[in-house]
Amino acid sequence: MPDTNKILEINGLAMDFGGLRAVDSLSFSIGEGEILGLIGPNGAGKSTVFNCIAGVYPPSEGEVFFAGEKINREKSWNLCKKGLARTFQIVKPFSSKTVLYNVMVGSFAVTDSTAVARRIALETLEFLQLDDKKDVRAANLTIPDRKRLEIARALATNPKLLLLDEVMAGLRPTEVDDVVELIRKLRDRGVTIFLIEHIMRAVMALSDHMIVIHFGRKIAEGKPAEVACNPEVIKAYLGDEYVISRD
Amino acid sequence: MTRQNVHISTMVLAVLIALGLPLVVHSPTYLHIMILLYLYAYLTTSWNLVGGFAGVLPLGHAVFVGIGAYASTMLYLQYGVSPWIGMLVGGVISVMIGVLIGLPTFKMRGAYFALATIAFGEGVRVMIENIDYIGPLKLNGPRGLQIPPLNVGLANMLFLDKKPYYYIILFMLIAVLALTWVISRRKLGYYLNAGGEEPEAAMALGVNVARCKLMAMAMSSFLTALAGTFWAQLTLFIHPKSVMSLDLSFEIAFIALIGGRGSIAGPVLGALLLRPVSDFSRIYFGDKLPGLHLIIFGVVLILVMIFQPRGIQEPLTRAYNKLVDRIVSRRARGVLESA
Amino acid sequence: MFGLLEDSINGILMGSIYGLTALGLTLIFGVLKVINFAHGSLLMVAMYAAFWAVTLTGVHPYVALVLVVPFMYLFGYYLQDIIIKPIFKAERDVREPVTVIIVTTGVWYVLDNLSLLLFGPQYRALTPNPLRGKMLEFGGMMVSVPKLWGFVAAMLVACAIYLFFQKSRMGRAIRATSLDRDAASLMGISQYKIYNIAFGIGTAVAGVAGVALVPFYNVFPSVGVLFDIKCYIIVVLGGLGSIWGAMLGGIIVGLIESVGPQFMTATWTEAIVYGLFLVVLFVKPSGLFGARADW
Repeated sequence: MPDTNKILEINGLAMDFGGLRAVDSLSFSIGEGEILGLIGPNGAGKSTVFNCIAGVYPPSEGEVFFAGEKINREKSWNLCKKGLARTFQIVKPFSSKTVLYNVMVGSFAVTDSTAVARRIALETLEFLQLDDKKDVRAANLTIPDRKRLEIARALATNPKLLLLDEVMAGLRPTEVDDVVELIRKLRDRGVTIFLIEHIMRAVMALSDHMIVIHFGRKIAEGKPAEVACNPEVIKAYLGDEYVISRD
Repeated sequence: MTRQNVHISTMVLAVLIALGLPLVVHSPTYLHIMILLYLYAYLTTSWNLVGGFAGVLPLGHAVFVGIGAYASTMLYLQYGVSPWIGMLVGGVISVMIGVLIGLPTFKMRGAYFALATIAFGEGVRVMIENIDYIGPLKLNGPRGLQIPPLNVGLANMLFLDKKPYYYIILFMLIAVLALTWVISRRKLGYYLNAGGEEPEAAMALGVNVARCKLMAMAMSSFLTALAGTFWAQLTLFIHPKSVMSLDLSFEIAFIALIGGRGSIAGPVLGALLLRPVSDFSRIYFGDKLPGLHLIIFGVVLILVMIFQPRGIQEPLTRAYNKLVDRIVSRRARGVLESA
Repeated sequence: MFGLLEDSINGILMGSIYGLTALGLTLIFGVLKVINFAHGSLLMVAMYAAFWAVTLTGVHPYVALVLVVPFMYLFGYYLQDIIIKPIFKAERDVREPVTVIIVTTGVWYVLDNLSLLLFGPQYRALTPNPLRGKMLEFGGMMVSVPKLWGFVAAMLVACAIYLFFQKSRMGRAIRATSLDRDAASLMGISQYKIYNIAFGIGTAVAGVAGVALVPFYNVFPSVGVLFDIKCYIIVVLGGLGSIWGAMLGGIIVGLIESVGPQFMTATWTEAIVYGLFLVVLFVKPSGLFGARADW
């Protein structure tokens, strides 16, 4: 039975692509208002987990519960309406449209009125400090701004849970700091965050709780400090030689 | 004088000119040319709902023109139903067929969708060319159906003069443009654009892309069918090659593409540019150089796609906006100076 | 019963020629990942080229191959280079290069109407035509000789193309580019040159098809349109990018067309071909031999 205090609960998640089991026996949960970080070496299956949760494809096995409701076969647009939003690792802005237009597509998820959608979009852009660029065509944005736009769009849908897929990839250190700050502000607004990230210091700094997966399986779980010292994790990332034996 | 005012003034002026034209131009030939111009502008604007906003490439839209034309004509000839009602019947049938076509094809990739629409269009045309009767309904196969010019009047949408036809199609054009404008500013318009450009991102933002596309298809096919009825009442003779040919489907798509699909002004501008080319080259070169206008279309299409893929409306709109800016600033300066 | 067999054989022969006409299209798709809507027109150009080659020089139609095939290769090469390449470059990152479809449709219109303008609408039959009406008697059945030659040509070309892509360096380079253009270009293969060559080859194959058709098929400006749509149907049936798929698809269509009229009117068989096309599109769009990965 799903624990309704947890906003997201995964039981025994598995995903097969043809003969390849990309994710195997994955179970974890996220509490409301938490920030959960998912890390793992490249190819570990992190984006697959996101896609299973966000309705891109249904998992081969296991159950996904969002706010107590089983959402295995739900479509992404319905999930969005229920309060589950996500960003994409490779950003997909509506390039030919302005920043404001992009975000309005998101805010239309909570209203039918163009005027209200515009208002919500403008507020969201202000929150993300993109409002001065609201009339810029998305194709002309810089990479960090595109990533912000990606977050703004998802935020405009008023999510309870936000899945962030490597939003800091390709950013410079100062830009990374800005995004870390932004995510903290998001949590303060009441959004639960589930993020995939490669930039260790960011993920360590942000996460209340972390999960490490490798070859599709969970190899460690816990607070950032615990996970960082976990020999399995070190082995997965750096290889056997770096594990400091405790004997 | 704000920009808004300038826009509104321009549109009012255009509408007034259009309304007043038949008072000045009496030649039936030229009126006919204008009627066809509005008709194609109407067809391309309706096409634009799917081909522009939804971002797919339907190349078989003439099938809806045919359905509209045949539905209203058969009902009129055999049961005396007024074409105004027949129009609506044709529209409803088109919606059903349009959705039927859209359901499986919208999942396909661009080229496959285009091919499927061609196959549907041609398939239906071939079938109608071979069928003389569906039950009690007379289709007359390739020989087509003729509407005798009797019982003239508004009730039967039959007129001896070109002027009423002119006003009817002008009204239809304005209505469809207004509809497109309203949709573009509302949720459906945003969703269609988003779904057409980046479907995955749109879906993650709550857009049911497939359903939006179907809605666009339903509207588009309905509106296109209405034009079919108008065409039948205008030309008084319909047969498969005239109302549901591949040539017609392509011409509609070409004009919209050259004008600029996805924009509201694009299809109209395309029609404004290309229809006169088509008519005049047919009048002047028809015998000596057959098909010249199609060559011109093709070459223009290729050039536009290479240099201005968003259509000629892009540079034209830019020029128009610059002109508006100049008017607005001049007026503003005028106001300041006189203050 | 005999009639059915005779029809079937002629259907297979004609079908193989259909397959040959579609072969160029499937090649171009396999490499460039676009459906060339102008393919029927290219076929029409090939047929006119063959027609004029024979009419002006008096050579045997099949000797005209020597003139037609290189001509078509260059025609296709430069068509791709001058008209399609700019669009390709502009749409590099677009998920679906729809504009290329639009442009090839424009080319279709220009070519068809240009030939109407230049050559007039009349149907032309090849003269002198040493193959006209020649039939071979085979076990009591009459088999059309030019169609038989067409079948041979189709099989030879299909094998040649297959071997070319499997064994030759250029062929492998083309395959590499079609699989991953960025990786291939990193290895020193000029992407756009490959596209030009692939387009040239596809058009040259259409050239062979044109020569095969001209002895028994009338030439007129819109002859391409008939084959165009049939080619798409064949190519989707057989699987885009598959050589043997195109041949098999062609034979299926050829059989339906020749056996069908025994049971229904010719135009209903046309409708059936369209219907089959739609069924394939909906049920298994990757066709009989197409790669599932494409979807």
